[in-house]
Amino acid sequence: MTQNGHVLLSVKDLVKYYPIHGGLLYRIVANVRAVDHVSFDIREGETFGLVGESGCGKTTTGRTILRLIEPTSGQVWFEGKDFSKLTGNELKKMRRDLQIIFQDPFGSLDPRLPVGAIIREGLDIHNIGSQSEREDRLHGIMKLVGLRPEYVSRYPHEFSGGQRQRIGIARALILNPKFVVADEPVSALDVSIQSQVLNLLNDLKRELKLTYLLIAHNLAVVKYISDRIGVMYLGKLVEIAPSDEIYARPLHPYTQALVAAIPEPNPTQRHKRPVLAGDLPSPVNPPPGCRFHTRCPIAKKEICAVTEPELREMTPGHTAACHAIGNWA
Amino acid sequence: MEIQNPSILQVKDLKTYFYTTDGTVPAVDGVTFHLDEGETLAIVGESGCGKSVTALSIMRLIAPPGQVISGEVVFQGLDLLKQPDNSMYMIRGSQISMIFQEPMTSLNPVFTIGDQISEALIIHQNLSKEQALKRTVDLLKQVKIPEAEKRVESFPHELSGGMRQRVMIAMALACAPSLLIADEATTALDVTIQAQILELMKELRENLGLSIMLITHDLGVVAEMADRVVVMYVGKIVEEADVYTLFESPKHPYTQALLSSIPTLRTSRDHRLNVIEGSVPNLYRALPPGCRFAPRCPAVFDRCRQEEPPLIPVGRGQTARCWLYDPPGNSALAHPAAASSEKTTT
Repeated sequence: MTQNGHVLLSVKDLVKYYPIHGGLLYRIVANVRAVDHVSFDIREGETFGLVGESGCGKTTTGRTILRLIEPTSGQVWFEGKDFSKLTGNELKKMRRDLQIIFQDPFGSLDPRLPVGAIIREGLDIHNIGSQSEREDRLHGIMKLVGLRPEYVSRYPHEFSGGQRQRIGIARALILNPKFVVADEPVSALDVSIQSQVLNLLNDLKRELKLTYLLIAHNLAVVKYISDRIGVMYLGKLVEIAPSDEIYARPLHPYTQALVAAIPEPNPTQRHKRPVLAGDLPSPVNPPPGCRFHTRCPIAKKEICAVTEPELREMTPGHTAACHAIGNWA
Repeated sequence: MEIQNPSILQVKDLKTYFYTTDGTVPAVDGVTFHLDEGETLAIVGESGCGKSVTALSIMRLIAPPGQVISGEVVFQGLDLLKQPDNSMYMIRGSQISMIFQEPMTSLNPVFTIGDQISEALIIHQNLSKEQALKRTVDLLKQVKIPEAEKRVESFPHELSGGMRQRVMIAMALACAPSLLIADEATTALDVTIQAQILELMKELRENLGLSIMLITHDLGVVAEMADRVVVMYVGKIVEEADVYTLFESPKHPYTQALLSSIPTLRTSRDHRLNVIEGSVPNLYRALPPGCRFAPRCPAVFDRCRQEEPPLIPVGRGQTARCWLYDPPGNSALAHPAAASSEKTTT
């Protein structure tokens, strides 16, 4: 169903470098290559998961798409326009359609505002509807995410972590967006609360016909909720595939290591896992060629250390960036 | 009391309360368990269940307003709670070691890692500075830190998170302890690095015959590492079983709900995750009478709201704090062994 949906958001060659200044004249001496030429499409009604370990650039990708961080270069096509180039009123108008849910339900809510004001702020900023219509919408959205409307005048500290995450979700949805970035929406929550929020995200997606970009480090969470998954390593996308496929047949050696590293909650599945050697190299000075070649168990010296691999389609709908796997995949 | 003691550690009816200005918090409220020689025991639970406070109580590291108010912690025949401070000082770090979640904040930023590891050796084993440094290099090699000779000169900020956790483990192993307490030791690490550290811990456990008390909220880590599991909820143990039994046939409704609410790589997307309604009760307010899980329990019945259940034996080596397993007509008194540690407050 979603496999053939039309593309809602298209990221093309997105780049975000953070300059490092130094020396007497405070020149740019190096760049942190947080996101380095990343391209992918998200289809309408789809949940696209972005996974990777800390520092791989997944959060920066999400925020750069929404221009919470300005990209260094690249394009973000949304409804026929390059969102990354919009300015003024056009930008403000389109922002209503692209919203974000943050990781930290404690740090992302203003402690001095009552919950009602936090959630409805978007309506006020965009001047939508009359005061009473805004109130109705506020109550409606609170009910939808499972918050009691009586709580409007309470403050964030009076809520538990799970409820706070619901407040963050209500805030993101009040403008009726088409596209929502969920950045680690459950990683700060306790296990018993995580499933409440994951189910809520799934329900809302169905009811409101949302399209998600889900960013998370927990591959099991991403796999459960996503239709397709992109795996990032050191600022690069290394593999994109449907979520069942990426678990059943990971092609890129990094994805394979990532899948193997997850401890399964099943003691009969204990095994000596192939452990990935070494640490993540620095994104300031990433290895030449394939960025993974320094830790890769199947790297070929001649090519992997020299030429950077491009994402290639290995089987229909399944792309990977690796020189070493083409022969048998 | 115990003359023959196969357990390296026995915790009996441990109670640690925090006396805050907002009220008394019974963080650990009558916890009893034991850890056998060479065994890995996992203590699992969500935030606020008392698992870390249990560990800190064993180490006698509870600071005011917290206080261990009763119980026994028998380590190799010695009740640690009755030891004077200076002998505790000699036990900590030499016979019982602890590694913490945050490898950055647990290391001192202004000393090299070599200095920090040798410190324990100089204090506990009377080694000279040169001997200590030599042993430190060996330890760093043992935890597989590359270029150990050079790395002793490094400061913590020069190392990655995984390397810092290896340093913490080296430090914990410096004096060849018999018990290692790992409090969320891999939680802050990325999965591939977590896998490295877990493999390292398994290897050290085999080579050194360590007993490990593993404190975690991650059921995947439990399944990977533990021999036996204790599940805690709001300051109490709610279930205890060997790891295979616990994952195969959990008995307490909380354990059951916890296991069915986590998505795994095998969970189909069409499968709706089980949800534990509500949230963990606020410990500052008076707890509900009866079972602490009753307000969220899908299997709750009248008795649960009135009487607090004891740990009831439900199988070989498996106990659950749940009235579901009480034979009809029997009161708690029918299980004196399980009920003896209970002082039910209703």
